Amino acid sequence: MNIIKTLDVKGLACPMPIVKTKKAIDTIASGEVLEVLVTDKGALNDFTAWAKSGGHNIVEQKEDAGVLSFFIEKA
Amino acid sequence: MSNKVAIIASNGSLFDAYKVFNIATAAAASEKEVTIFFTFEGLNLIHKQAMQALSMPEGKEFMAEGFAKANVPTIPQLVEMAQELGVKFIGCQMTMDVMGLKIVDFVEGIEVGGAVTFLEFAKDASPTLTF
Repeated sequence: MNIIKTLDVKGLACPMPIVKTKKAIDTIASGEVLEVLVTDKGALNDFTAWAKSGGHNIVEQKEDAGVLSFFIEKA
Repeated sequence: MSNKVAIIASNGSLFDAYKVFNIATAAAASEKEVTIFFTFEGLNLIHKQAMQALSMPEGKEFMAEGFAKANVPTIPQLVEMAQELGVKFIGCQMTMDVMGLKIVDFVEGIEVGGAVTFLEFAKDASPTLTF
């Protein structure tokens, strides 16, 4: 996995995690992976839907002590 | 599938502002082309002064604490974010005339138009949302 960048949006509420993720993904190249750390519980469904809307691929997601990590490969 | 989201903002409380700008920024961040038509009290949401201190609906003032705790962005922050993401704002000319408001009373970058301006955008939008 070519993780090029990590975005920490822990503690932020909807819609900021998605908005900041969108801005971050715009700064990386196709095929590169963005790691996002988020605590908003709505993110679980939101990130899946968001990735679909942009054609991006969530290659891995995990949860550790209430922090969700998404690894998003840019389309 | 339509790539447009059309929103009518016609109410002016703090809750209305969050409903409108959360959906708008989320849609814009999901590659949608978003236009918001601000009419009647909805104009509060982009009025330079009014947007700084939108009221809570009557009887819901206790929720102010919850807003602070949940770490939600302020309305001016959401407005700026929406514009950065390319969300288009249209102020309703008729309501502005009735209220004696001018384009300079609003945040930079809005357009002013009538119902037809909005309808033209909304004719192939999906969804169209009203708040």
